[in-house]
Amino acid sequence: MSSSHEAAPSRAFLAEEVRRYHHFIVLALWLAVVTGAEIVLIYLPLPTAVIFTALTLMSAGKFFAVILWFMHLIYDKRLLFWCFLAGLVLAFSTYAALLMLFSVDRIDTRWFS
Amino acid sequence: MSQDTHHAPVACKTELAPERNDLGLYRPDRATGWTDWLTTVDHKKIGILYGAFAMLYFLIGGAEALAIRTQLARPDNDFVTARMYNQLFTMHGTTMIFLGVMPLSAAFFNFLVPLQIGARDVAFPRLNAFSLWTFVFGAFVLNASWLFEFGHLAGWFDSFAWHKALVYTDFAPANGWFSYAPLAGTFGANGQALRFTGVGTDFWIIGIQVLGIASLAASFNFICTIINMRAKGMTMMRLPAFTWMALVTSVLIILAFPAITVALIELMFDRAFGANFFNPSAGGQPVLWQHLFWIFGHPEVYILVLPAMGIVSEVLPTFSGKSLFGYPIVVFSGAVIGFLGFAVWSHHMFTTGLGPVPTAAFSLLTMAIAVPTGVKIFNWVGTIWGGRIRFTPPMVLALGFIWMFMCGGFSGIMHSSAPADSQQQDSYFVIAHFHYVLLGGVLLGLMAGLYFWFPKIFGRMPNAPVAYLGSALVILGFNLAFGPMHYLGLVGQPRRTHTYHAGNGWETWNYVATIGAYILGIGVVIVFGNLVWTAFRGKKCGDDPWDGRTLEWSLPSPVPDYNFAQAPVVTTRDAFFEHKHGARKIGFENDGGDAGVHMPSQSWMPMLASAGFFFIGFGMPMMAMGIPHAGWLVISGLGVLFLGIWLWALEGPGGYMLKTPAPAGAPAPAETVAR
Amino acid sequence: MSDHAVAHEAPTSTGIDHKKLIMWLFLASDCMFFGTLISTHLLYRKLFPAGFTDAEGHQRFIQDLFSIELTSFSTFILLMSSFLMALAVSAMHKGQLKSFRRNVLGVIVFGLIFLGCQVFEFTHFYHKGLTIQNSVLGSTFYVLTGTHGTHVAIGVLWLVLLYFYSFTGKLGGHMGALDVEVAGLYWHFVDIVWIIIFTAVYLVEYLGPSGIWGSGLPVVVK
Repeated sequence: MSSSHEAAPSRAFLAEEVRRYHHFIVLALWLAVVTGAEIVLIYLPLPTAVIFTALTLMSAGKFFAVILWFMHLIYDKRLLFWCFLAGLVLAFSTYAALLMLFSVDRIDTRWFS
Repeated sequence: MSQDTHHAPVACKTELAPERNDLGLYRPDRATGWTDWLTTVDHKKIGILYGAFAMLYFLIGGAEALAIRTQLARPDNDFVTARMYNQLFTMHGTTMIFLGVMPLSAAFFNFLVPLQIGARDVAFPRLNAFSLWTFVFGAFVLNASWLFEFGHLAGWFDSFAWHKALVYTDFAPANGWFSYAPLAGTFGANGQALRFTGVGTDFWIIGIQVLGIASLAASFNFICTIINMRAKGMTMMRLPAFTWMALVTSVLIILAFPAITVALIELMFDRAFGANFFNPSAGGQPVLWQHLFWIFGHPEVYILVLPAMGIVSEVLPTFSGKSLFGYPIVVFSGAVIGFLGFAVWSHHMFTTGLGPVPTAAFSLLTMAIAVPTGVKIFNWVGTIWGGRIRFTPPMVLALGFIWMFMCGGFSGIMHSSAPADSQQQDSYFVIAHFHYVLLGGVLLGLMAGLYFWFPKIFGRMPNAPVAYLGSALVILGFNLAFGPMHYLGLVGQPRRTHTYHAGNGWETWNYVATIGAYILGIGVVIVFGNLVWTAFRGKKCGDDPWDGRTLEWSLPSPVPDYNFAQAPVVTTRDAFFEHKHGARKIGFENDGGDAGVHMPSQSWMPMLASAGFFFIGFGMPMMAMGIPHAGWLVISGLGVLFLGIWLWALEGPGGYMLKTPAPAGAPAPAETVAR
Repeated sequence: MSDHAVAHEAPTSTGIDHKKLIMWLFLASDCMFFGTLISTHLLYRKLFPAGFTDAEGHQRFIQDLFSIELTSFSTFILLMSSFLMALAVSAMHKGQLKSFRRNVLGVIVFGLIFLGCQVFEFTHFYHKGLTIQNSVLGSTFYVLTGTHGTHVAIGVLWLVLLYFYSFTGKLGGHMGALDVEVAGLYWHFVDIVWIIIFTAVYLVEYLGPSGIWGSGLPVVVK
């Protein structure tokens, strides 16, 4: 459908898009830096727990940065954020529980043999 | 954009000038007869088709059940072989759940949800049609396994090389509706993919996979519709309780089905490509299948029951002349049941050696889920308390639901205690429990819905005496069939065994249960027969025979294509009841009339895309059978699927304008909107 | 024609376009889908920290297979493709069709490079002895990353079709921008799933002396 049937994008809308364009560039650079940091981090002689926590936080940071800015969630209505978060939280909780279930190493075999 | 020749609104779609879509093909908008039904995107027709197929598959599942009960009527019976028995209970469960209850619930969602929210169709009409046809093809593929089985038993395949090469010759699935690994999986080192079962399992895998896609597509559509297409003034807390349950059920589907989708992919890879997900020889953990299956399977049972609860929440207020007691709590409880349903899956696995802490956790959570369920029951009782009760057929069935579902709930709570469950697991007590909730609960609820809304769907009233008779036989029959099973389970009769020896004291009650099953079967046939007859020849009735409360009753019966002549504006819950008997009237938007309303175009493309599943559904088991070149069938199926979707995207949404009459009492379109 | 425009942009109860809402619902569902696959992989890593047995019967570690350089490169590529996708959506919103086409072509090319890296990685691992059949690790790894790769491939196909559709003159205005944005949402999701897979499947294998899983936990073998 040619845009001649609709009003051209308004000036405010265009200005907003240009601002977001700059946000995207900054974000892309930041994502690249964090990814590089992750790769460097795994070779550093720090305790495993520290590295693991840092990796988790960095990945989570990248994850939410892409969702909020590249995927526009921060600019959109809240409902979309909650829809997605519901799926994400449920998936995370269910599978954390599943992994914990598979971590039970001490099963009391006195009760069945 | 398409060269649109439909500028002018028409009174009837057959008056439309032929229009081409963006691909240059004619749109089937003017179709009547078979073509109309095959290309329909009208949620009402799609609902009727879902309902018709569901009733057919209910009867098939019922026949399988009667075969089971006949075999078990007497000890050491040989009515069917052990293998046929396994196939029967597998197909009975799978058919009833996926081809009976879920499509019947989908039928109600399809027909009612747009009407109850004051919309003219769902958010994505062609996606709705795609869901329907995917279900139809998936259901056919699953039951085609029986055709292969009968062909094998009749010896038709004996001369074929691939048949002679088969290690196992079971064509219909026989591993139970849950198809546990390792029986359904493989063993052997390094991709040997040695199996314990034949092609039946492969039919089951691909059948459930395709049906899952149908359910997912429909659920995305309904969530979007309910959230996004409500009439003006229809806030979420003014939605009818049935629509709320439709929303919760759809959310459960989109979050639960991915687990089974992945589990099925993993199982299929084990069998077809020698992967090791559940292969004990390579370190695979068969119990993982149980976990993944029940992560899906437990929400699935709430998917089965919540629509019926929604129906009951509509029927009880209507025939008590009172609004639903504690509506916000009923809605909230439904949502809590849905949410907690994801947290209890391992209560199906208490005897797998999870360890004391997980067992206790799941036990407590299972007990917790009884709370919102109980809350709903109290609210239903509160609804009928002090009301002027009319014992119409739907009301009798809904009252039966409360009582019978409660019985099923009690046996469920007994299961929640892990020590007690360790005796009850895999016994007839479990069968008693879930048949009470499924038959006493879901079936009675769905039947109540059928009797309640048939007058709206077809404009004809089912014959009441026959309805009472059928309902009585169903209730009597199922109690007689499944009541004794509580006892049989507690004295130790195991489930999923094709026969039992005399001398255990099980003979009498098994015989009684079989009699009950036949009575139940007769009752179901009477009910369905009554309904089908009503659809064509029943006595015509008015638009609002029950003094209904929700928006669909404000429409003519049967409902016209455009649903609402003018879009309604509501200001309260139970808007139509208030409009008739209270002060707050339904307003109308200034649309429709001679200016017309927008109707979505009909299309062949959704069905074309679904047809791809037909080829995939046969191709995968045929690959497992070793039939040469079967892989090409799968590839061509994928090709048809992608082609269908691509053409669907390219044809453009189209649409035409349909004139609507100005309803009596509503302002003509030129007037301002009423408040 | 104007009737169609009005009809397609009929006001929704929430003000959110139907297509956008349904795509976010799909992505929520896809979280459960990938969650299942990732957790299957992780729990088998926990059970069998050592890795796999190759054709000669040697016990092999997963770090012997992984080439962190290759995977890092493909991760960067996918992240940059996400960036270009955001630019493409932005261009479409501004009505700049030529800019949109350039950016979408960039996304397609980067997506194909990513897929190429995946194919290379799979063949590399296969030649080093990891197959889908000879171990649980092979099964979980190939199916998880293969499913992700399939999602990428579907995304590439979608974008290729959008690219060619943009030449027909029918892609434009609010609906065109919406269609592109929805494709963008899918593409970004595929990227964020990869962010998780990169960390949980690749990076954690390098923690500790023999990977995070080989850190003294009781091992259940056979």
